[in-house]
Amino acid sequence: MDLAYLIEALVKVLIVLGFTLLGVPIIVWMERKVLGHMQDRIGPQRVGPFGLLQTIADGIKLFFKEDVVPSQVDKVMFAVAPAISVVTALAAMSVIPFGDHVTLFGRVIPLRITDVSIAILFLLGATSMGVYGIVLGGWSSNSKYPLLGALRSSAQMISYELAMGTALLPIILMTGSLSLLQIGRAQTHMWFIVPQIVAFVIYMICAVAETNRAPFDLAEAETELVAGFHTEFSSMRFALYYVSEYANIMVVSAVAITCFLGAWNGPFLPGWAWFLIKLVAFLFFYIWIRATFPRLRYDQLMTFGWKFLLPLALVNLAVTAVVLTVKG
Amino acid sequence: MLEGILFAMFAGVAIGCALGVVFHRNPVHCALLLVGVLLSLAGVFILLHAAFVAALQVIVYAGAIMVLFLFVVMLLNVKGETPLLTPGAAKGFGFLFGLIVATELLWTVLSPGGSEGGPFPAAALPAEFGSPAGLGMLLYTTWLYPFEIVSLLLLVAVVGAVVLAKRKFF
Repeated sequence: MDLAYLIEALVKVLIVLGFTLLGVPIIVWMERKVLGHMQDRIGPQRVGPFGLLQTIADGIKLFFKEDVVPSQVDKVMFAVAPAISVVTALAAMSVIPFGDHVTLFGRVIPLRITDVSIAILFLLGATSMGVYGIVLGGWSSNSKYPLLGALRSSAQMISYELAMGTALLPIILMTGSLSLLQIGRAQTHMWFIVPQIVAFVIYMICAVAETNRAPFDLAEAETELVAGFHTEFSSMRFALYYVSEYANIMVVSAVAITCFLGAWNGPFLPGWAWFLIKLVAFLFFYIWIRATFPRLRYDQLMTFGWKFLLPLALVNLAVTAVVLTVKG
Repeated sequence: MLEGILFAMFAGVAIGCALGVVFHRNPVHCALLLVGVLLSLAGVFILLHAAFVAALQVIVYAGAIMVLFLFVVMLLNVKGETPLLTPGAAKGFGFLFGLIVATELLWTVLSPGGSEGGPFPAAALPAEFGSPAGLGMLLYTTWLYPFEIVSLLLLVAVVGAVVLAKRKFF
C-alpha cells in the first residue's frame, strides 16, 4: 500500500463525494425547470443564468435558517436520523463504476472508488439501511403525521426492495458475477435492457417507489400527511433529507445505467462521458415520470408491489434461468 | 496489523452496543443498539473473508428484521419503565442463559483446535471461500438436507403467521 495508491484513493473519494453533493443542486434545478416546462410554466429564472443558481440560493437560505427542535422530540435520534439518510446514500455511490479505467500520469486508474466482489449486495444493503433514516426521523419527531409518514414509507421501501432485488437477479445470472464492473464489461456488445426489458421495467417502478417519488410519494402526501416523515424538520436537518432524496435518485439511476443501459459503453466518446450523458438522460426520464402520473392510493401501492411486481419478477427470473440453462 | 485494529474496533463496538441493548431504558434505543451489534458483526464477517455472509447479515437482519422489530416497538409505544417479566424472574432467567452461552463459548475456544490459526487464516483458504458461488455450492450439495429443512420450517412459519393474522375472517 504505497503513498501514490493512498493519494489516488483519496482523490477518487473526494471526486465522487463532490460529484454527488454538487449533483444534487443541479438535479433539483433540472427538476424544477423540466417540471415547469412540462406544466406550461417557466420554472426558476431569476437567480443566475436560466435560474441556475436558484438551488444554491435555496441551500444558503436553509443553511442560515433557525434550527427548530420541537420540545418533546428524542434529541439524539432527531439529530442522527437525517445523517443516516445521507450517509447511506453516499456510501452506495462508492461502488458505482463511472467507467472502466483511464491512464493518467502513467498510472492506470480504475474509474470507481472500489470494486467489491459483492457490489450489488452492498448497494441493496445500503438502501435497506437508508430505511432507518426515515423511520427514526418520523419516530423521533414525536408527532402523529411524521410517524404515519415514516411507517408508510418504510413499509413501502421494504416491500419494493424485494421486487427490486429480484429484478436485478437475472442480470447476475447472465453475467455470473455480483460485481458492477463485470456487469458493465459484459455489455460491450448488447445492453441488458434488450433481453431483460421486463426486469428493467420492474426495476424502474421499484426505483421510483424506493426513492419515495411521485407517483409513489405517499410518505409525504401533503393532502393527508402535511409533509410526512420530515414535517418537524427545519433548516439544515431538512436540507439533509432533501440531499439524501436526490442522492438516492442518483444512485438508483446509476445502477439502472450500469445494469441495464450498457454502463459506460458507447461509441467515440470516452466511457465516463457516456456515463454522464446516460445519467442526465435517465434523470430527465425520472422527472418525466413524476410529471406524468398521479399519486396512487396506499392500498393500491401495496397490492401492486406484492401481488403483481414480485410474482412477475420471480417469473422473469425463472424464465431467464431456464433459457440460460437450455442455451448452456 | 490493520486487520487486528479493525477487529478490535468492530468487536469493541459490538460489545459496547450489546451492553447498551441490555442496560438502556428506552426500547427504541435498545432496538437501534441491536442494529449496531449486527452491523459490527457484519464487519467481523468481512474480516473472516465471508463478505457474502456479511452482506446478508446487513440486508436481512439489520435491514429487514430489525426494521420490523422497530415498527412493533414504536407502535406499541412501550415505556421504558414497564418490564415484561418481574425483575427477580428476569434476572434469574438472564443469569441462567448468560451462563449457558458463556460456557458454550469457553468450551469452543478452549477445546483442542478451537483457536487454532488465529482469527485470520487467510493463507490456507481456497479461492472460492466465502464467495456466493462457493457458498451456494456447499448449500446445494453437502448441506442440502439441512437447507431444505430450514426452508420448510420458514414456510410453516409464514403460513402460520398468515393464519393467525387472518383468523377473524374464518
